[in-house]
Amino acid sequence: MKSPKSLAAAAAPFLAFLALAAPPAVSFGSIDDDEKKKDDEEEAEEEEEGDKWFAIVGGDVHTGTGAVLRGATVLSKNGKIEEIGYNVFIPEDAETLDAGGYRVYPGLVAVQASSRISRGVFGSAELAADPDHGHDPHASDPLHPDDDWSKAGDTSFGDDSAYEELEEAVEGAADPKDRPDFEHSFDPFSSYLVMALSAGITTADQSGTAAKLKRYEIDGVAMKEKHMDNFSWSSSGRAGLREKFDRASEYLRELAEYEKKKKKDKELKEPDSKGVDSKVRSVLEGKTLAKFSANSREDLLGIARFAQEYGFRPVLQGCREGWTVADELGRAGAYAIVTPRSRRAKDERLVREGGSSIENAAILHRHGVQVAIIPSNTSIDLGGITGRDLLHFPVEAGFAVRGGLSNEAALAGITIIPARLLGVDHRVGTLEVGKDCDAIVTDGDVLHYQTFVQWTVVHGKIVYDKQDELLFHHIRPRPEPEPEAVEEVDVEAPEGGEEEGEEDEEEPEEGEEEEGEGEEEGEGEGEEGDEDGR
Amino acid sequence: MRRLVTLLLAVFGLAAFGWAFDDDTPAAGEPGGPGLAIKCAKALVVAPDPKDPQVVDRALVLIKDGKIESVVRARDAEIPDGYEVLDVGKNWVMPGLVELHCHVGGTFSINDMVYLTNPGLSTRSDVVPANDSLKVGVAGGVTSVLYIPGSGTNIGGQGILFKTGLEHYEDALIRDPGSMKLAQWGNPESWAMGVTMTFEHWNTRNTIRRGIAYAKRWEAFENGTGPEPERDIQFDIFRSLYKRETTISTHTQLYQVVLMTLTMIARDFQLPVFLDHSTIGGWLTGGMAEELGVPAICGPRSVDTLSRFFISWARNKHEGVRGVAAGYQQMGNTMVGFNTDSPVIPQETLQLQAGMGVRYGFDDSNLEAVRGLTVVPAMTVFIEDQVGCLLPGRDADILVISGHPADPRSSVERVLIEGKKVYDVEEEPRRW
Repeated sequence: MKSPKSLAAAAAPFLAFLALAAPPAVSFGSIDDDEKKKDDEEEAEEEEEGDKWFAIVGGDVHTGTGAVLRGATVLSKNGKIEEIGYNVFIPEDAETLDAGGYRVYPGLVAVQASSRISRGVFGSAELAADPDHGHDPHASDPLHPDDDWSKAGDTSFGDDSAYEELEEAVEGAADPKDRPDFEHSFDPFSSYLVMALSAGITTADQSGTAAKLKRYEIDGVAMKEKHMDNFSWSSSGRAGLREKFDRASEYLRELAEYEKKKKKDKELKEPDSKGVDSKVRSVLEGKTLAKFSANSREDLLGIARFAQEYGFRPVLQGCREGWTVADELGRAGAYAIVTPRSRRAKDERLVREGGSSIENAAILHRHGVQVAIIPSNTSIDLGGITGRDLLHFPVEAGFAVRGGLSNEAALAGITIIPARLLGVDHRVGTLEVGKDCDAIVTDGDVLHYQTFVQWTVVHGKIVYDKQDELLFHHIRPRPEPEPEAVEEVDVEAPEGGEEEGEEDEEEPEEGEEEEGEGEEEGEGEGEEGDEDGR
Repeated sequence: MRRLVTLLLAVFGLAAFGWAFDDDTPAAGEPGGPGLAIKCAKALVVAPDPKDPQVVDRALVLIKDGKIESVVRARDAEIPDGYEVLDVGKNWVMPGLVELHCHVGGTFSINDMVYLTNPGLSTRSDVVPANDSLKVGVAGGVTSVLYIPGSGTNIGGQGILFKTGLEHYEDALIRDPGSMKLAQWGNPESWAMGVTMTFEHWNTRNTIRRGIAYAKRWEAFENGTGPEPERDIQFDIFRSLYKRETTISTHTQLYQVVLMTLTMIARDFQLPVFLDHSTIGGWLTGGMAEELGVPAICGPRSVDTLSRFFISWARNKHEGVRGVAAGYQQMGNTMVGFNTDSPVIPQETLQLQAGMGVRYGFDDSNLEAVRGLTVVPAMTVFIEDQVGCLLPGRDADILVISGHPADPRSSVERVLIEGKKVYDVEEEPRRW
């Protein structure tokens, strides 16, 4: 069922290697090379080597916009999608990934993901300066006396304390300048990053920053910071919140008035922004989104009405009883971040409907609420229990389908809708011309429990190849050039070894350039260091 | 006076009639009711022998008096007169799921750590039939559970087997004792001052030896070759075990410990036993388990993980994520099933355990994943003549489901237990 049809796909590991190893194409526009090399190095990198083309060829392209193009090609130029369709002209020096017999989807977008993903074990600059800070290397070892796993109520053994501290440092900083710099805390060699990529995740919300999960490089990993701000709908804070929104609305009205009249009346003073909450102002100006954690029907209704009153679209995190008031939430133009499997008991004292429902996502969607999906564990669960963390991101969407959501809406819930929440939907979340070429190539329906991501592409580069990593290469391995028995699922150490060997041998022939080798070696080292570090 | 009596009789009679009219008329498929014929796209028969047909396409499933009568191709059969027809369209019909590691059958008073071995304690004293957790489990397809004690001690006591959706204990009970719960490592260490594997295994062996001696004395008495022994409720369970009327469900994990389960319990004591959890390198024993006829019921962990940055208790160095169920299967074990250890993971996600098994390499080409949710656990606890498959004569514990049970997207639409409808999404909001 899942075995690739195309023999050509067999060449894919090799192509994947090419994509990783080959430097930006050199033959293109190399006439000016010598002169420009004398100039600024950066410039040289950009221009001298010409445009970098990359093509995913022959896969069934599920664009995420509703269209499915069977056997089509996605062509990317310098990381942006240039063309999607048939009979696409592929420049000679383009790297290609033969996706015949596979499916191509937009990379998945994980909102609210644990910051461990992009920070690996190194953490922020702050944590890097003090490597032992809050991080116990034996924390996940049950034989370590300090960690009595048997008493832990939850069976996830990950210790997130260091990351929680980090998140506090990031989110707690009032002045953005005091925040640890995101790009400097991004670990492009993190094994967690590789695992996220193996799950098809190409964009992750990392402490409020929409991070592009680039591997081996950090340029441009921070796509957008702080697109969502947290607001509290606590019973004690509501009055204060209303005051803030009143004040900010008043100010914005004054400001609009001022902008209108200032040309005529030079004497007019700019309105005083004293007492205007910058977070609230930003929400009312539509620059950021206001996120509320709320599950009960009363809270959800209150927030929806509040949002309609002040004219903004709320983001409702949790939203477990949302299905009981979905029409109101739809009218408020709300977004919801839901975990379809999460549970809330009905308050038995009440006659009306309540509690959680597996149909929540479907009902919310039906009423026009934009539903983003997150698993109950938004980190990577290393404890052995599967199916509820980011390594199994689509499984959670599958449970929304169980509750009646369409496959299409479920896919949107892990791609374009979270991209909107992060303010990066103009760049990721669907496969469209002009957007970033962040895609996954899978051996089946992305929502199917058996499907594995075969390749992950970020910014027009292959950053994960199932057969090149130790994680899952032994499970239903991709057919090699010589067709083999498909059901050989045993640990086949020689196979992985052979493959790497092949690559190494071919490298001098195909690499054509020393830089290419250098890059490949660098990658290798990075990987080793990566693993040894754990 | 006579008038009063007549009046009373009349009222009583009317009430009785009304009551009977409201609730007591058995529906189609229920005991005493007319037959029920379900037309479906697929019926997963999962006969105990994997060589027998496992599935019938475009099937007709006949149910009468709470039992399955037959499963045949719809075009080959005529619906008998008087049978109510239920056409479930594109949905599939399959046996209810059998969960062998359930802790949500009652009030959770099931982990009394009195001695290091407590074979006399029983979860029977703690059952709450058809409780809220079980009802959600029903919507996840689970119709039979083995409700077992916790693993705070090496022998936590006895589990009972019962049906999830029936309100009364007498109706719900399948077998008591359902099993004896043995926990060999990875919890009992916290007993008293703290014990570790060597003493745990010695003490367990000692208890079992005494238990077997007790069972033999009773056997001798029953054969007329010995005096009547004094009854000892701590050891009574061993009489059932010795006769192979029940089995030992073993919380076992870690290669070395699983090896102890197989060598100590199955090989040396020759008692019926199955591996429960079975994770963390345990799959390496798959071949030996098959030789000794010991099934592996895997979960809630479904993978062994990389050695460097994942836990590696077994100290065996994996270089990749290894499916546990797949491991047993590939080592040759033909009896591999799944569990949840609910509430560790919720009972209603039992289906997903099979899905994850398949994801990580478990071969499902002959419906092994479905078998692992149904007939394999039923065979494991010797109740395959009653539940776990759709062969004639089995209890009509039936799911109407929208697709393969391993797929989280497949939704359970209707559940019958012994022919009685206990869940129907057309009549109530989805519980799951």
